[in-house]
Amino acid sequence: MSQDRPSVNASERRDRPARRSRPAEGRVAAITGACTFLGTELCRRLEEDRRYAKILVLDVRQPPLPADPDSKLIFYSVDLTQPTVDDELATLLDREGVDTVVHGAFLSHPTHAQEWAHELEDVGTMHVLNACAEVRPPRLVMVSTTMIYGAHPQNPNFLTEAAELRGHRDSRFVNDKVRAEKQALRFARDNPATAVATLRFAPMLGPTVSNMFTRLLSRQFLPVMMGHDPLLQFVHEQDAAWALKLAVDSDAEGPFNIVGKGVLPYSTVLAMMGRVPLPMPYLAARQLLKALWATQIVQSPPSLLDYLLYLCVADGARARRELGFAPRLSIKRTIHDFLGLAPEDDATDVTRATG
Amino acid sequence: MAHDDPPDAPELGDDDPAVPDGGWSDAWPGDEDVFLGEEASVPPGDYGSIPSTMPGHDIDDVELRELERRIESHRTPVYPLDARRSMPMQFVWRRWRQLAMMGRSDVVDDFGRDPRATARWEPLLELLYTRWFRVETSGLEHVPGRGAALLVANHAGSLPYDSAMIVHAIRRDHPSRRDVRPLIEDAIFHLPWLGPLVNRIGGVRASPDNAERLLERGELVAVFPEGVKGMGKLFRDRYRLQRFGRGGFVKLALRSGAPLVPVAVVGAEEAQPMLGKITWFARSVGIPYVPITPLFPWLGPAGLLPLPSKWTLRFGEPIDLAKQYGPEAADDRLLVNRLADQVRAQIQQMVDDIRTQRRSAFR
Repeated sequence: MSQDRPSVNASERRDRPARRSRPAEGRVAAITGACTFLGTELCRRLEEDRRYAKILVLDVRQPPLPADPDSKLIFYSVDLTQPTVDDELATLLDREGVDTVVHGAFLSHPTHAQEWAHELEDVGTMHVLNACAEVRPPRLVMVSTTMIYGAHPQNPNFLTEAAELRGHRDSRFVNDKVRAEKQALRFARDNPATAVATLRFAPMLGPTVSNMFTRLLSRQFLPVMMGHDPLLQFVHEQDAAWALKLAVDSDAEGPFNIVGKGVLPYSTVLAMMGRVPLPMPYLAARQLLKALWATQIVQSPPSLLDYLLYLCVADGARARRELGFAPRLSIKRTIHDFLGLAPEDDATDVTRATG
Repeated sequence: MAHDDPPDAPELGDDDPAVPDGGWSDAWPGDEDVFLGEEASVPPGDYGSIPSTMPGHDIDDVELRELERRIESHRTPVYPLDARRSMPMQFVWRRWRQLAMMGRSDVVDDFGRDPRATARWEPLLELLYTRWFRVETSGLEHVPGRGAALLVANHAGSLPYDSAMIVHAIRRDHPSRRDVRPLIEDAIFHLPWLGPLVNRIGGVRASPDNAERLLERGELVAVFPEGVKGMGKLFRDRYRLQRFGRGGFVKLALRSGAPLVPVAVVGAEEAQPMLGKITWFARSVGIPYVPITPLFPWLGPAGLLPLPSKWTLRFGEPIDLAKQYGPEAADDRLLVNRLADQVRAQIQQMVDDIRTQRRSAFR
């Protein structure tokens, strides 16, 4: 965004009615974090949707989408880690008349650049919410994850949206997302003009998505906490993208868990994938991973081992009720897709697959 | 050979005006205003016009490699599968998967019960039920054949053999062979190896949320309201029922409308008679106490095997609390506590009756 554009008068912006409803045609959407998997998928889907006239693609670089001269996508380079980006963002949203903001600029992998990650996720969310408080778009959708509930021994088998956001006592990767989510909840309370929805996605798995879980499960040898075997939950990448599109289209408010169909124990997931489990005692594994993390040999902080120790499974009933999202692919099919096994390869018995 | 070369082909290492060699400070025009804190003005992704002077890499190669890199980076690297495709070791991995999937199925229910694992442990439960404890079961007709119900039982022993026997009795002898979901306290549920095993064969962590969800699904839920207090009582206090928690099971029954079925278990106290317990050491390893029985810890893990006591299970008349008091009574704390104590007294009475009728604890 160029610096020399005049900022729109703040009081002028605030004189709007309390809640505009979005027009049926000619909507304008803005997507932060458009280079993430969900952002790119949403760009694709919104471009095909005739209700949306213009889509602002905001990220530090162009998402890998085909360049089409009469595309509805307009790319703006926006870096959410810049200290005054909220003003620039407000000007841009106001000038383009954006009525739908999708905030998806979150990291899918933990990183050693933890201060930068904090600036991007926690402070970046603040910037986006500041801009939204100024412009008051009728719709704001934020991407989040079920990891913010935290893996805890006291968790029930299915965490509803009302469950406490425990995060993790020493994981900045998770706690930044918790803080972003709490900011969004506070924003929704203070700004009734905007219908805010946060989508808490279960770990995404699929043939194209790349995140910490796909990276972990792509290894041949995986750590297993000795004597512990929690139930895991995944959501297929296409189901996740579909859910995000549904949420952008609807006006339902509040947090929603977006989860796949079914759960499986970690050991069964490994067995289905043909991976070799490496059982290790939790305390030793934690110390080892701490050392490897401190020396920057591995990319996973030790706190994430807790998700292999205790349950963190969410309940998707609210999304089914209010968004109309019911996952189409079971966890077994999701794992097959991740492995690249066609369902006709071996629909019923993965043990006979030759992949 | 030099005369065969075209006259104006540049030689390697030839001076190229685009790339300065040595003395770079006077080769860049106006280098004094480079790096004054401004952002690079090259638009992202537009690097096509920068010429490369490296040998053998013309612009097409660069673009091709960039394309390849992009394609590769947008694809999840399924490393083992790729490696396996190129290696003639498919039969090894196929065998490994078969081996790994042995005794487990690829579908579990929402609470983690694995049908194949359950079937695998069934013979052991059958052995315990018929040969070891010689369980005598009565009153199974009081357990409803369909719909939600709450089985409330007394609790004893360090390991939950009593819940296993209740589950097995109903699966084996009840006309509709229902599956019971016992609620397991955290002390057992989070024990290494035992906890996951209990979960695979049907146990659910004891929490109000889980119980409510199970009852909503119309399942048969077994609860042990004494909890750890019941498991941890000494042999001299045997069959003296402890406080029934905080009456959570009564609230559940009132809210969900499920009938309560009182269950008396006699024999479990003698299967693992607890002579004493160590608590100071146990807290640090995350269990409530270390039991001392005639066999444990003297015989090591083998000491956790139960003694062959003679067991009796008795299912009592169902109590329909919701019909008597209505679901709003769940908020009346005094009433909830009174009802919990009534149920406790009833089970205590059933236990006492069985104990006066039986001849000996082991025959």
